[in-house]
Amino acid sequence: MSPMWGSVEQYSTIHWSWAIAIYLFLAGLSSGSIIVALLVKWNRHERSNSSIWDAMIKAGAVVAPTAIFLGLFLLVIDLGRPFSFYWLLVRYNITSVMSLGVLFLLIYTPIVVVFMLLVFERNVIKHPILAPLEGLINLVKSFHSYAKIIEYFLFVAALCVGSYTGFLLSALYAIPLWNSPLLPVLFLTSSLSSGVAVNILIGLLFFKSTINTESIKYLLVLDTRVILTELPLLALFFIGMFYAGGDAPQAARMALTEGFWAGIFWLGVIGVGLGLPLLTVIVALRSHVYRVGYIIINSMVVILGVLMLRYYIIYAGQIYLG
Amino acid sequence: MPKQYRLLYDENLCIGCQACSVACRVENSVPDNFFRLQVHVQTKGVFPNLGMSYERLSCMMCENPPCVSVCPTHASFQSKDGLVHIDEKTCITCKYCILACPYHARFVNPLKNVVEKCTFCYDTRVSKELLPACVSTCPTEALSFGDMRQKGSLVEQKSQKEVLVFPKAHLGTKPKVAFIPSRKGVKV
Repeated sequence: MSPMWGSVEQYSTIHWSWAIAIYLFLAGLSSGSIIVALLVKWNRHERSNSSIWDAMIKAGAVVAPTAIFLGLFLLVIDLGRPFSFYWLLVRYNITSVMSLGVLFLLIYTPIVVVFMLLVFERNVIKHPILAPLEGLINLVKSFHSYAKIIEYFLFVAALCVGSYTGFLLSALYAIPLWNSPLLPVLFLTSSLSSGVAVNILIGLLFFKSTINTESIKYLLVLDTRVILTELPLLALFFIGMFYAGGDAPQAARMALTEGFWAGIFWLGVIGVGLGLPLLTVIVALRSHVYRVGYIIINSMVVILGVLMLRYYIIYAGQIYLG
Repeated sequence: MPKQYRLLYDENLCIGCQACSVACRVENSVPDNFFRLQVHVQTKGVFPNLGMSYERLSCMMCENPPCVSVCPTHASFQSKDGLVHIDEKTCITCKYCILACPYHARFVNPLKNVVEKCTFCYDTRVSKELLPACVSTCPTEALSFGDMRQKGSLVEQKSQKEVLVFPKAHLGTKPKVAFIPSRKGVKV
Protein backbone atom coordinates (compact mmCIF):
# COMPACT_ATOMS: atom_id res chain seq x y z
CA MET A 1 0.00 0.00 0.00
CA SER A 2 1.26 3.46 -0.84
CA PRO A 3 2.33 5.76 1.96
CA MET A 4 -0.14 8.37 3.23
CA TRP A 5 2.72 10.60 4.21
CA GLY A 6 6.41 10.46 3.53
CA SER A 7 8.75 10.88 0.58
CA VAL A 8 10.59 7.93 -0.94
CA GLU A 9 12.85 10.23 -2.96
CA GLN A 10 15.89 9.33 -0.88
CA TYR A 11 15.38 5.64 -1.68
CA SER A 12 15.17 6.05 -5.43
CA THR A 13 17.90 8.55 -6.29
CA ILE A 14 20.64 7.34 -8.62
CA HIS A 15 23.73 8.66 -6.85
CA TRP A 16 26.32 7.08 -9.13
CA SER A 17 25.27 7.48 -12.72
CA TRP A 18 26.65 7.15 -16.26
CA ALA A 19 29.99 8.81 -15.45
CA ILE A 20 30.80 6.12 -12.88
CA ALA A 21 29.58 3.33 -15.19
CA ILE A 22 31.89 4.61 -17.93
CA TYR A 23 34.75 5.08 -15.46
CA LEU A 24 34.41 1.46 -14.32
CA PHE A 25 34.45 0.43 -17.98
CA LEU A 26 37.49 2.58 -18.84
CA ALA A 27 39.50 1.48 -15.79
CA GLY A 28 38.79 -2.13 -16.77
CA LEU A 29 39.63 -1.45 -20.42
CA SER A 30 42.90 0.20 -19.44
CA SER A 31 44.04 -2.57 -17.12
CA GLY A 32 42.79 -5.29 -19.46
CA SER A 33 44.60 -3.89 -22.47
CA ILE A 34 47.92 -3.50 -20.66
CA ILE A 35 47.62 -6.99 -19.15
CA VAL A 36 46.97 -8.40 -22.63
CA ALA A 37 49.86 -6.41 -24.11
CA LEU A 38 52.20 -7.79 -21.41
CA LEU A 39 50.93 -11.34 -21.93
CA VAL A 40 51.64 -11.04 -25.66
CA LYS A 41 55.06 -9.57 -24.94
CA TRP A 42 56.00 -12.37 -22.56
CA ASN A 43 54.34 -15.34 -24.23
CA ARG A 44 54.52 -14.59 -27.93
CA HIS A 45 57.99 -13.19 -28.40
CA GLU A 46 60.38 -15.52 -26.65
CA ARG A 47 60.90 -17.52 -29.84
CA SER A 48 59.65 -15.10 -32.45
CA ASN A 49 62.23 -13.02 -34.27
CA SER A 50 59.71 -10.42 -35.44
CA SER A 51 59.66 -6.92 -34.00
CA ILE A 52 59.51 -6.84 -30.23
CA TRP A 53 56.86 -4.16 -30.52
CA ASP A 54 54.03 -6.21 -31.92
CA ALA A 55 50.82 -4.38 -32.91
CA MET A 56 49.08 -5.81 -29.84
CA ILE A 57 51.70 -4.28 -27.55
CA LYS A 58 51.47 -0.94 -29.35
CA ALA A 59 47.68 -1.01 -29.05
CA GLY A 60 47.94 -1.68 -25.32
CA ALA A 61 50.47 1.13 -24.93
CA VAL A 62 48.06 3.58 -26.60
CA VAL A 63 44.80 2.39 -25.07
CA ALA A 64 45.88 1.90 -21.44
CA PRO A 65 47.00 5.48 -20.69
CA THR A 66 44.27 7.10 -22.82
CA ALA A 67 41.50 5.10 -21.16
CA ILE A 68 42.73 5.67 -17.62
CA PHE A 69 43.16 9.43 -18.10
CA LEU A 70 39.69 9.76 -19.63
CA GLY A 71 38.28 7.67 -16.81
CA LEU A 72 39.99 9.69 -14.10
CA PHE A 73 38.70 12.89 -15.69
CA LEU A 74 35.13 11.54 -15.57
CA LEU A 75 35.66 10.38 -11.99
CA VAL A 76 36.72 13.84 -10.85
CA ILE A 77 33.99 15.77 -12.66
CA ASP A 78 31.37 13.42 -11.20
CA LEU A 79 32.29 14.56 -7.68
CA GLY A 80 29.85 17.02 -6.13
CA ARG A 81 32.88 19.21 -5.48
CA PRO A 82 35.41 18.46 -8.24
CA PHE A 83 37.86 21.11 -7.06
CA SER A 84 38.12 19.46 -3.64
CA PHE A 85 39.37 16.20 -5.17
CA TYR A 86 42.86 16.88 -3.77
CA TRP A 87 41.61 15.70 -0.37
CA LEU A 88 41.70 12.21 -1.89
CA LEU A 89 45.45 12.62 -2.31
CA VAL A 90 46.03 14.20 1.09
CA ARG A 91 43.96 12.06 3.43
CA TYR A 92 43.74 8.28 3.19
CA ASN A 93 41.42 5.85 4.87
CA ILE A 94 42.80 2.35 4.45
CA THR A 95 39.43 0.78 5.23
CA SER A 96 37.95 2.59 2.23
CA VAL A 97 38.30 0.81 -1.11
CA MET A 98 38.15 4.24 -2.76
CA SER A 99 41.34 5.27 -0.95
CA LEU A 100 43.02 1.99 -1.92
CA GLY A 101 41.94 2.64 -5.51
CA VAL A 102 43.58 6.07 -5.42
CA LEU A 103 46.81 4.43 -4.22
CA PHE A 104 46.69 1.77 -6.98
CA LEU A 105 46.02 4.44 -9.60
CA LEU A 106 48.91 6.55 -8.30
CA ILE A 107 51.24 3.61 -8.90
CA TYR A 108 49.61 2.35 -12.10
CA THR A 109 49.13 5.53 -14.12
CA PRO A 110 52.76 6.77 -14.22
CA ILE A 111 54.12 3.32 -15.11
CA VAL A 112 51.60 3.00 -17.91
CA VAL A 113 52.72 6.37 -19.29
CA VAL A 114 56.38 5.31 -19.12
CA PHE A 115 55.46 2.08 -20.90
CA MET A 116 53.82 4.10 -23.68
CA LEU A 117 56.85 6.38 -24.01
CA LEU A 118 59.16 3.38 -24.35
CA VAL A 119 57.01 1.66 -26.95
CA PHE A 120 56.74 4.83 -29.01
CA GLU A 121 60.28 5.99 -28.28
CA ARG A 122 61.11 6.66 -31.95
CA ASN A 123 57.91 8.59 -32.61
CA VAL A 124 58.43 10.66 -29.48
CA ILE A 125 61.95 11.65 -30.46
CA LYS A 126 60.79 12.59 -33.97
CA HIS A 127 58.27 15.17 -32.77
CA PRO A 128 59.83 18.48 -31.68
CA ILE A 129 56.93 19.20 -29.27
CA LEU A 130 57.61 15.99 -27.40
CA ALA A 131 61.36 16.49 -27.37
CA PRO A 132 61.52 17.42 -23.66
CA LEU A 133 60.36 13.87 -22.94
CA GLU A 134 63.56 12.50 -24.44
CA GLY A 135 65.40 13.01 -21.20
CA LEU A 136 62.74 11.05 -19.37
CA ILE A 137 62.96 8.23 -21.90
CA ASN A 138 66.73 8.09 -21.56
CA LEU A 139 66.37 8.00 -17.81
CA VAL A 140 63.90 5.13 -18.03
CA LYS A 141 66.11 3.32 -20.52
CA SER A 142 68.99 3.45 -18.07
CA PHE A 143 66.94 1.07 -15.91
CA HIS A 144 66.76 -1.33 -18.85
CA SER A 145 68.18 -4.23 -16.84
CA TYR A 146 65.18 -4.01 -14.50
CA ALA A 147 62.67 -4.01 -17.38
CA LYS A 148 61.22 -7.40 -16.55
CA ILE A 149 60.74 -6.51 -12.88
CA ILE A 150 59.02 -3.25 -13.83
CA GLU A 151 56.78 -5.15 -16.22
CA TYR A 152 55.79 -7.60 -13.48
CA PHE A 153 55.12 -4.63 -11.22
CA LEU A 154 52.93 -3.03 -13.89
CA PHE A 155 51.11 -6.33 -14.36
CA VAL A 156 50.27 -6.55 -10.66
CA ALA A 157 49.24 -2.87 -10.56
CA ALA A 158 46.96 -3.48 -13.55
CA LEU A 159 45.39 -6.46 -11.78
CA CYS A 160 44.74 -4.21 -8.76
CA VAL A 161 43.17 -1.46 -10.90
CA GLY A 162 41.07 -4.00 -12.80
CA SER A 163 39.67 -5.62 -9.68
CA TYR A 164 39.46 -2.74 -7.18
CA THR A 165 36.44 -1.31 -9.02
CA GLY A 166 34.65 -4.55 -8.18
CA PHE A 167 35.68 -4.34 -4.52
CA LEU A 168 34.59 -0.68 -4.52
CA LEU A 169 31.02 -1.80 -5.14
CA SER A 170 31.07 -5.11 -3.29
CA ALA A 171 32.07 -3.38 -0.03
CA LEU A 172 28.59 -1.84 0.21
CA TYR A 173 26.30 -4.21 2.06
CA ALA A 174 23.38 -1.79 1.69
CA ILE A 175 23.15 -2.70 -2.01
CA PRO A 176 22.42 -6.41 -2.57
CA LEU A 177 23.41 -6.51 -6.24
CA TRP A 178 26.83 -5.04 -5.46
CA ASN A 179 27.56 -6.83 -2.21
CA SER A 180 28.90 -9.98 -3.85
CA PRO A 181 32.40 -11.42 -3.46
CA LEU A 182 32.19 -12.47 -7.11
CA LEU A 183 31.89 -8.93 -8.43
CA PRO A 184 35.67 -8.20 -8.45
CA VAL A 185 36.34 -11.49 -10.26
CA LEU A 186 33.56 -10.77 -12.73
CA PHE A 187 34.90 -7.26 -13.39
CA LEU A 188 38.44 -8.52 -13.83
CA THR A 189 37.46 -11.23 -16.33
CA SER A 190 35.32 -8.85 -18.35
CA SER A 191 38.18 -6.32 -18.26
CA LEU A 192 40.46 -8.94 -19.79
CA SER A 193 37.86 -9.63 -22.42
CA SER A 194 37.56 -5.95 -23.33
CA GLY A 195 41.36 -5.66 -23.28
CA VAL A 196 41.73 -8.45 -25.84
CA ALA A 197 39.03 -6.90 -28.02
CA VAL A 198 40.34 -3.34 -27.91
CA ASN A 199 43.93 -4.39 -28.60
CA ILE A 200 42.87 -6.43 -31.64
CA LEU A 201 40.66 -3.59 -32.85
CA ILE A 202 43.25 -0.82 -32.44
CA GLY A 203 46.03 -3.10 -33.71
CA LEU A 204 44.10 -3.96 -36.88
CA LEU A 205 43.02 -0.37 -37.52
CA PHE A 206 46.23 1.54 -36.80
CA PHE A 207 49.23 -0.79 -36.57
CA LYS A 208 48.52 -3.17 -39.40
CA SER A 209 52.15 -3.24 -40.53
CA THR A 210 53.29 -4.87 -37.31
CA ILE A 211 50.35 -7.29 -36.98
CA ASN A 212 51.40 -10.77 -36.02
CA THR A 213 48.67 -13.27 -36.92
CA GLU A 214 50.05 -15.71 -34.38
CA SER A 215 49.39 -13.32 -31.51
CA ILE A 216 45.90 -12.52 -32.84
CA LYS A 217 45.11 -16.23 -32.82
CA TYR A 218 46.53 -16.52 -29.32
CA LEU A 219 44.31 -13.66 -28.16
CA LEU A 220 41.14 -14.91 -29.83
CA VAL A 221 41.59 -18.28 -28.13
CA LEU A 222 42.24 -16.46 -24.85
CA ASP A 223 39.08 -14.39 -25.31
CA THR A 224 36.93 -17.45 -25.97
CA ARG A 225 38.20 -18.94 -22.72
CA VAL A 226 37.52 -15.70 -20.83
CA ILE A 227 33.96 -15.51 -22.17
CA LEU A 228 33.37 -19.14 -21.26
CA THR A 229 34.51 -18.25 -17.72
CA GLU A 230 32.29 -15.17 -17.57
CA LEU A 231 29.05 -17.03 -18.28
CA PRO A 232 29.28 -19.41 -15.29
CA LEU A 233 30.54 -16.51 -13.16
CA LEU A 234 27.39 -14.53 -13.96
CA ALA A 235 25.27 -17.57 -13.17
CA LEU A 236 27.07 -18.04 -9.84
CA PHE A 237 26.69 -14.32 -9.12
CA PHE A 238 22.88 -14.57 -9.20
CA ILE A 239 22.66 -18.07 -7.70
CA GLY A 240 24.70 -16.75 -4.77
CA MET A 241 22.21 -13.91 -4.32
CA PHE A 242 19.25 -16.29 -4.33
CA TYR A 243 20.79 -18.22 -1.44
CA ALA A 244 21.93 -15.11 0.47
CA GLY A 245 19.92 -13.59 3.29
CA GLY A 246 18.14 -10.28 3.66
CA ASP A 247 16.98 -8.43 0.55
CA ALA A 248 19.35 -10.22 -1.84
CA PRO A 249 16.96 -12.88 -3.28
CA GLN A 250 14.25 -10.32 -3.98
CA ALA A 251 16.77 -7.89 -5.51
CA ALA A 252 18.17 -10.66 -7.74
CA ARG A 253 14.69 -11.66 -8.89
CA MET A 254 13.81 -8.06 -9.77
CA ALA A 255 17.16 -7.40 -11.48
CA LEU A 256 16.63 -10.42 -13.74
CA THR A 257 12.95 -9.92 -14.59
CA GLU A 258 11.78 -6.35 -14.13
CA GLY A 259 11.89 -3.36 -16.41
CA PHE A 260 14.48 -1.81 -18.69
CA TRP A 261 17.57 -3.06 -16.88
CA ALA A 262 16.50 -6.72 -16.98
CA GLY A 263 16.23 -6.24 -20.75
CA ILE A 264 19.73 -4.76 -20.87
CA PHE A 265 21.01 -7.76 -18.94
CA TRP A 266 19.49 -10.44 -21.18
CA LEU A 267 19.84 -8.70 -24.54
CA GLY A 268 22.91 -6.55 -23.91
CA VAL A 269 25.15 -8.38 -21.46
CA ILE A 270 24.23 -11.98 -22.24
CA GLY A 271 23.08 -11.64 -25.87
CA VAL A 272 25.38 -9.06 -27.42
CA GLY A 273 28.30 -9.23 -24.99
CA LEU A 274 28.69 -12.98 -24.54
CA GLY A 275 26.35 -14.79 -26.96
CA LEU A 276 27.29 -13.07 -30.20
CA PRO A 277 31.07 -13.42 -29.72
CA LEU A 278 30.64 -17.13 -28.93
CA LEU A 279 28.46 -17.50 -32.03
CA THR A 280 31.10 -15.72 -34.13
CA VAL A 281 33.79 -18.03 -32.84
CA ILE A 282 31.69 -21.09 -33.58
CA VAL A 283 30.36 -19.98 -36.99
CA ALA A 284 32.84 -17.62 -38.60
CA LEU A 285 36.22 -18.08 -36.95
CA ARG A 286 36.16 -21.86 -36.83
CA SER A 287 39.02 -23.93 -38.21
CA HIS A 288 41.35 -20.93 -37.98
CA VAL A 289 39.87 -19.00 -40.87
CA TYR A 290 40.47 -15.58 -39.39
CA ARG A 291 38.69 -13.01 -41.49
CA VAL A 292 39.47 -9.40 -40.63
CA GLY A 293 35.89 -8.12 -41.02
CA TYR A 294 34.51 -10.65 -38.56
CA ILE A 295 37.31 -10.05 -36.09
CA ILE A 296 36.65 -6.29 -36.09
CA ILE A 297 32.90 -6.69 -35.61
CA ASN A 298 33.51 -9.33 -32.94
CA SER A 299 35.83 -6.97 -31.04
CA MET A 300 33.35 -4.10 -31.11
CA VAL A 301 30.56 -6.36 -29.90
CA VAL A 302 32.67 -7.61 -26.98
CA ILE A 303 33.57 -4.04 -25.95
CA LEU A 304 29.91 -2.97 -26.13
CA GLY A 305 28.92 -5.95 -23.98
CA VAL A 306 31.48 -5.10 -21.29
CA LEU A 307 30.29 -1.47 -21.26
CA MET A 308 26.70 -2.65 -20.83
CA LEU A 309 27.68 -4.96 -17.97
CA ARG A 310 29.07 -1.94 -16.07
CA TYR A 311 25.97 0.14 -16.84
CA TYR A 312 23.72 -2.71 -15.77
CA ILE A 313 25.50 -3.32 -12.47
CA ILE A 314 25.65 0.40 -11.61
CA TYR A 315 22.01 1.21 -12.38
CA ALA A 316 20.26 -2.06 -11.49
CA GLY A 317 22.17 -2.12 -8.18
CA GLN A 318 20.78 1.26 -7.16
CA ILE A 319 17.27 0.58 -8.48
CA TYR A 320 16.57 -2.99 -7.35
CA LEU A 321 17.17 -2.90 -3.62
CA GLY A 322 14.84 -5.79 -2.79
CA MET B 1 33.81 10.24 30.12
CA PRO B 2 32.31 9.58 26.69
CA LYS B 3 28.55 9.71 26.39
CA GLN B 4 26.35 6.85 25.31
CA TYR B 5 23.50 8.63 23.61
CA ARG B 6 20.26 6.93 22.69
CA LEU B 7 17.18 8.18 20.87
CA LEU B 8 14.04 6.19 21.65
CA TYR B 9 11.05 6.28 19.34
CA ASP B 10 7.82 4.83 20.69
CA GLU B 11 5.59 3.81 17.78
CA ASN B 12 2.66 3.41 20.19
CA LEU B 13 2.70 7.11 21.03
CA CYS B 14 3.36 8.50 17.54
CA ILE B 15 0.36 10.07 15.81
CA GLY B 16 2.14 10.87 12.54
CA CYS B 17 1.77 14.64 12.94
CA GLN B 18 5.21 15.36 11.36
CA ALA B 19 6.00 18.04 13.94
CA CYS B 20 9.40 16.38 14.44
CA SER B 21 10.13 16.56 10.72
CA VAL B 22 9.13 20.24 10.53
CA ALA B 23 11.15 21.09 13.64
CA CYS B 24 14.17 19.40 12.04
CA ARG B 25 13.80 21.39 8.82
CA VAL B 26 13.59 24.65 10.72
CA GLU B 27 16.45 23.88 13.10
CA ASN B 28 18.82 22.69 10.37
CA SER B 29 17.63 24.64 7.28
CA VAL B 30 16.99 21.42 5.37
CA PRO B 31 16.10 22.22 1.73
CA ASP B 32 12.72 21.20 0.30
CA ASN B 33 12.32 17.62 -0.91
CA PHE B 34 15.19 16.41 1.28
CA PHE B 35 14.86 14.81 4.69
CA ARG B 36 17.16 14.43 7.63
CA LEU B 37 14.16 12.95 9.39
CA GLN B 38 10.76 11.78 8.29
CA VAL B 39 7.97 9.58 9.59
CA HIS B 40 6.36 7.41 6.93
CA VAL B 41 2.66 6.91 7.61
CA GLN B 42 0.95 3.94 6.02
CA THR B 43 -2.51 2.44 6.21
CA LYS B 44 -2.28 -1.31 6.59
CA GLY B 45 -4.74 -4.16 6.61
CA VAL B 46 -7.98 -4.82 4.72
CA PHE B 47 -11.17 -2.79 5.25
CA PRO B 48 -12.73 -2.67 7.81
CA ASN B 49 -9.75 -3.96 9.77
CA LEU B 50 -7.43 -1.08 9.06
CA GLY B 51 -4.50 0.09 11.11
CA MET B 52 -1.91 2.81 10.82
CA SER B 53 1.79 2.16 10.86
CA TYR B 54 4.44 4.75 11.53
CA GLU B 55 8.04 4.35 10.54
CA ARG B 56 10.69 6.84 11.58
CA LEU B 57 13.54 7.29 9.11
CA SER B 58 16.73 9.11 9.97
CA CYS B 59 20.40 8.55 10.68
CA MET B 60 20.72 5.68 13.17
CA MET B 61 24.06 6.91 14.55
CA CYS B 62 25.55 3.43 14.18
CA GLU B 63 28.21 2.14 16.52
CA ASN B 64 29.75 0.44 13.44
CA PRO B 65 28.91 2.99 10.76
CA PRO B 66 29.41 1.73 7.19
CA CYS B 67 29.49 5.36 5.99
CA VAL B 68 32.61 6.07 8.08
CA SER B 69 34.61 3.04 6.99
CA VAL B 70 34.06 3.75 3.28
CA CYS B 71 34.77 7.50 3.36
CA PRO B 72 38.08 8.03 1.53
CA THR B 73 38.93 11.37 3.16
CA HIS B 74 37.74 10.79 6.77
CA ALA B 75 35.14 13.52 6.16
CA SER B 76 32.57 11.12 7.58
CA PHE B 77 33.81 10.44 11.10
CA GLN B 78 32.81 9.25 14.54
CA SER B 79 33.25 11.62 17.46
CA LYS B 80 34.48 10.66 20.94
CA ASP B 81 30.86 10.43 22.04
CA GLY B 82 30.23 7.87 19.30
CA LEU B 83 28.17 10.18 17.13
CA VAL B 84 28.66 10.15 13.36
CA HIS B 85 29.35 13.54 11.82
CA ILE B 86 30.41 14.99 8.47
CA ASP B 87 33.29 17.44 8.08
CA GLU B 88 32.00 19.73 5.33
CA LYS B 89 35.46 21.01 4.50
CA THR B 90 36.97 17.65 3.53
CA CYS B 91 33.81 16.14 2.02
CA ILE B 92 34.34 15.86 -1.74
CA THR B 93 30.76 14.65 -2.30
CA CYS B 94 31.77 11.37 -3.91
CA LYS B 95 28.49 9.94 -2.56
CA TYR B 96 30.16 6.67 -1.51
CA CYS B 97 28.78 7.08 2.04
CA ILE B 98 25.25 7.69 0.73
CA LEU B 99 25.38 4.38 -1.10
CA ALA B 100 26.91 2.61 1.90
CA CYS B 101 24.14 3.69 4.29
CA PRO B 102 21.52 0.93 4.68
CA TYR B 103 19.07 3.45 6.19
CA HIS B 104 19.07 5.94 3.26
CA ALA B 105 19.73 8.65 5.82
CA ARG B 106 22.15 10.70 3.75
CA PHE B 107 21.61 13.06 0.86
CA VAL B 108 23.44 15.77 -1.06
CA ASN B 109 22.33 19.20 0.09
CA PRO B 110 21.88 20.95 -3.28
CA LEU B 111 22.50 24.39 -1.80
CA LYS B 112 25.88 23.54 -0.28
CA ASN B 113 26.79 20.56 -2.49
CA VAL B 114 27.76 18.65 0.62
CA VAL B 115 26.52 15.36 2.07
CA GLU B 116 24.19 15.86 5.03
CA LYS B 117 22.18 13.86 7.53
CA CYS B 118 20.74 13.95 11.04
CA THR B 119 23.31 15.02 13.64
CA PHE B 120 21.05 14.67 16.70
CA CYS B 121 21.25 18.51 16.50
CA TYR B 122 24.65 18.14 18.16
CA ASP B 123 26.16 21.52 17.28
CA THR B 124 23.15 23.70 17.97
CA ARG B 125 21.44 21.85 20.84
CA VAL B 126 22.86 18.65 22.32
CA SER B 127 26.32 20.13 22.96
CA LYS B 128 24.50 22.86 24.95
CA GLU B 129 22.66 20.31 27.09
CA LEU B 130 19.44 20.81 25.10
CA LEU B 131 17.32 18.07 23.53
CA PRO B 132 17.34 17.57 19.75
CA ALA B 133 14.70 19.72 18.00
CA CYS B 134 12.51 16.73 17.10
CA VAL B 135 12.46 15.43 20.67
CA SER B 136 11.59 18.76 22.26
CA THR B 137 8.80 19.36 19.71
CA CYS B 138 7.06 15.98 19.85
CA PRO B 139 3.57 16.63 21.32
CA THR B 140 2.99 13.04 22.47
CA GLU B 141 6.42 12.40 23.95
CA ALA B 142 6.93 9.55 21.52
CA LEU B 143 10.59 10.54 21.41
CA SER B 144 13.04 10.49 24.26
CA PHE B 145 16.73 11.23 24.18
CA GLY B 146 19.58 11.06 26.59
CA ASP B 147 22.75 9.48 27.90
CA MET B 148 22.37 5.80 28.75
CA ARG B 149 25.16 6.11 31.33
CA GLN B 150 22.92 8.40 33.39
CA LYS B 151 21.04 5.93 35.58
CA GLY B 152 17.41 6.83 36.20
CA SER B 153 17.06 9.05 33.14
CA LEU B 154 13.91 8.68 31.05
CA VAL B 155 15.73 6.95 28.19
CA GLU B 156 17.48 4.55 30.56
CA GLN B 157 14.25 3.71 32.41
CA LYS B 158 12.25 3.19 29.22
CA SER B 159 15.02 1.06 27.74
CA GLN B 160 14.92 -1.19 30.83
CA LYS B 161 11.15 -1.54 30.74
CA GLU B 162 10.37 -1.97 27.06
CA VAL B 163 11.25 -4.41 24.31
CA LEU B 164 13.51 -2.51 21.91
CA VAL B 165 13.94 -3.01 18.19
CA PHE B 166 17.05 -1.86 16.36
CA PRO B 167 16.39 -1.48 12.63
CA LYS B 168 18.29 -3.83 10.31
CA ALA B 169 20.03 -5.33 13.33
CA HIS B 170 21.22 -8.25 11.18
CA LEU B 171 23.66 -5.90 9.46
CA GLY B 172 25.58 -5.45 12.70
CA THR B 173 25.64 -1.65 12.52
CA LYS B 174 24.48 -1.30 16.17
CA PRO B 175 22.22 1.75 15.87
CA LYS B 176 21.88 4.31 18.66
CA VAL B 177 18.27 4.91 17.63
CA ALA B 178 15.96 2.33 19.18
CA PHE B 179 12.30 1.62 18.48
CA ILE B 180 9.51 0.51 20.77
CA PRO B 181 7.41 -1.40 18.23
CA SER B 182 3.65 -1.02 18.02
CA ARG B 183 1.84 -3.42 20.35
CA LYS B 184 -1.37 -3.22 18.37
CA GLY B 185 -0.12 -5.10 15.37
CA VAL B 186 -1.91 -4.95 12.05
CA LYS B 187 -5.02 -6.97 11.31
CA VAL B 188 -4.72 -8.54 7.89
